[in-house]
Amino acid sequence: MKEITINPVTRIEGHARVKINLDDSGNVDNAHFEVVELRGFEKFMIGAAVEEAPRITPRICGICPTAHHIAAAKACDEIFGAAPPATGKKLRELLMVGQFIHSHSLHFFMLAAPDFLIGHDAPAAERSVLGLVKKAPDIAKKAIEVRKFGQRMTEAIGGKPIHPSTCIPGGVSYPLAESKRLELLEMSKKSLETAREGWNIARTILDQTDLSFGAVDTAFMGMSDNGRFSAYNGEVNVIGKDGNPVSAFSGADYLNLIEEYSEDWSYLKFSRLKGGDYYRVGPLARLNIVKEMGTPEADAALAEYRSTFGEFTQTTLAYNMARYIEFLSCCEKAVEYLSDPSICGGDVRTPVSGVSKSRGVGIVEAPRGTLIHDYSVDEEGFITDCNLIVATCQNNFGMDRGVEDVARKVVSGGSLSESAANRIEMVIRAYDPCISCATHAIGQMPVDIELVRRKPER
Amino acid sequence: MKIAIEELAGCSGCTIAVLDLHEMLLDVVEKAEIVYSPVIMDVKEPPEGIDIAFVTGAVRNEENRERLKMIRKRSKVLVALGTCACYGGVSGLSMLSSNAEIFNKVYRNGATVGEDGKIPSGVPPFTYRAFAVGDLAMMDYYITGCPPKENFLREIIPALIAGDSLDLSRKSVCSECDRKMGSVEGWKLKRRYEGVPDREHCLLGQGYLCLGPVTFGRCGASCPKNNVPCHGCNGPSLDILREPCRDLYNMMVRRISDLTDHKEKEIEEELYDVAHTMYPFTIGSLIMEDKENSKIRDLVKERSL
Ligand code: SF4
Ligand code: SF4
Ligand code: SF4
Repeated sequence: MKEITINPVTRIEGHARVKINLDDSGNVDNAHFEVVELRGFEKFMIGAAVEEAPRITPRICGICPTAHHIAAAKACDEIFGAAPPATGKKLRELLMVGQFIHSHSLHFFMLAAPDFLIGHDAPAAERSVLGLVKKAPDIAKKAIEVRKFGQRMTEAIGGKPIHPSTCIPGGVSYPLAESKRLELLEMSKKSLETAREGWNIARTILDQTDLSFGAVDTAFMGMSDNGRFSAYNGEVNVIGKDGNPVSAFSGADYLNLIEEYSEDWSYLKFSRLKGGDYYRVGPLARLNIVKEMGTPEADAALAEYRSTFGEFTQTTLAYNMARYIEFLSCCEKAVEYLSDPSICGGDVRTPVSGVSKSRGVGIVEAPRGTLIHDYSVDEEGFITDCNLIVATCQNNFGMDRGVEDVARKVVSGGSLSESAANRIEMVIRAYDPCISCATHAIGQMPVDIELVRRKPER
Repeated sequence: MKIAIEELAGCSGCTIAVLDLHEMLLDVVEKAEIVYSPVIMDVKEPPEGIDIAFVTGAVRNEENRERLKMIRKRSKVLVALGTCACYGGVSGLSMLSSNAEIFNKVYRNGATVGEDGKIPSGVPPFTYRAFAVGDLAMMDYYITGCPPKENFLREIIPALIAGDSLDLSRKSVCSECDRKMGSVEGWKLKRRYEGVPDREHCLLGQGYLCLGPVTFGRCGASCPKNNVPCHGCNGPSLDILREPCRDLYNMMVRRISDLTDHKEKEIEEELYDVAHTMYPFTIGSLIMEDKENSKIRDLVKERSL
């Protein structure tokens, strides 16, 4: 028995490794995607005043802090019985749009594209955004520019580009200034132009790639607003392995559908449907679920995507294209929202007096998939229980089985070349996993007592 | 000039903050070679001979600790980047619970897990508590912020690469805040969700727990400017760091007392959820815990063992 380890998996958020076990004749016996880190949010949020949750939980993830910020704020809205007024709600939606633009462009151009644009066989040192700067400076510059727009928009509405702080129980703390709107509108138009040009690259990106890599058959889960792509509003839909609707839920009803379990070799829990079926979330899932994106150019792109992959697809690597279509759609949405001066309205928050419900569940679509924040509180609004379901747990099965699938295809003669290792990582990267999100769950491992070293060592 | 970024237990926000230099990144990579940063590139281990390494995140498990040791050995200048690295950050909040409680909660008592859930064992074991990296290894510089803000990094990073010295602001968040101090009458502590704060006047004077006075600035008072009280994410202000008898809690109480003419005792009675409202970013820091009058010891009470 021989073991091959890829550690760490790179160009993903957080710490994970891949372990491949070979049998005596050098063939793959099994392979796993293992997460090696953990923090502790579900436990250490207990006892906190619930209004602190939108401030503390964004620190689960520096790439999708806005999704955590808003999911927690939505849960607070319920607990305090205060639905945000029209403009407040729009601002939160626009904040999510900013989140998607930054996160999807980061992933597409800076983390995943080097495999496609520079080549997954290129030397490791060149295969990165830094390599892209050298090899395709125009693309790199545009990628920097659009991501900047996403972050500027988050900053304008959320107060800060990373870990926004303005979503509060009942809405948003402060209106958007008209001058800011105009500034962002200019940027959004440019970003849309870039997104449009980039579609020409995105649509051909998989042409040279073996699309069977990372194959796995699962159900899917994702939010849609009556069939339309949405990250903030609507029910969460579940469709089966064959693409047919299974059920839909909102709020605390997620408990009837989802269960989680753990394995010895990873800190990351696995989610599945209570009936035993595994499911996936994120761009691929959402595009399998929605009827339309709701914006013209993204809808045209969706039609093209569907002419290749069909109305429903299990193709793991199609995540990359699906992600791009969402990115394009969000650029269109940004222009749409910012063109309307009413986004600067003053009705941004519903005043809150006290706790009106002992439980609140906030659900949004994070860039990587459905995100659920569930808090129970006492009469004063202090958290008594907390459950967080993040995208990466829900995709854990898909990644774990996908890794084994590719390992069987690329390991030969008992060894793994660097480019073969990168192909395995490409499958993980397709999911854009966020290990920090996934490992919010816990702080410490079996008791390991040691002396505190008070004196730092050089 | 070879640069590296190492990630320990954190959220990657600090690395994203570096990417948030946006177009300035192009200048940076022209002047310096980034040789290792697992979030954005494929090199799996930090090479020898790094000139400046940034380490982000706290130490939470043995793997983090090993990586910290390695990056210290292989780099000339080591910079703690962000509040997690400097003071433990939110990971430190895990010290509010014991191991057994955390395991049971996450793998056995969560709303979606079964009682017979497995507790992972084939994974790197955790250190018995969270550590700020500066508590375990010698740092050459500390850059605070959760994450450090763009404008601030725009000043620091080029200077670090050029080897220049800089005169940086050492003031608190209040010094960057545009709010006026109004007259304070009938002061009463409010929960942060209560009512709608007026945009003109100091939030503290309106009854909101705004940590501006005890928090290191350099964020442009982003939160108070958007009508949200400061949460202290940049870590303690310089006067607190310097003086052994000054701590976040007692300095806040003193500040409110000065402002309101209420006795310190009365104010202490009104405070609630001190761990999450005052120490959410510093509870894992030995420097803060070791203060004579720190409340961290009471809050933690050996829960981590
Ligand atoms: S300091 Fe803040 S932004 Fe940086 S890693 Fe820690 S939680 Fe994330
Ligand atoms: S306490 Fe807060 S609101 Fe008041 S001046 Fe300081 S930062 Fe501004
Ligand atoms: S105002 Fe306070 S909480 Fe907000 S960014 Fe600055 S230091 Fe952090």
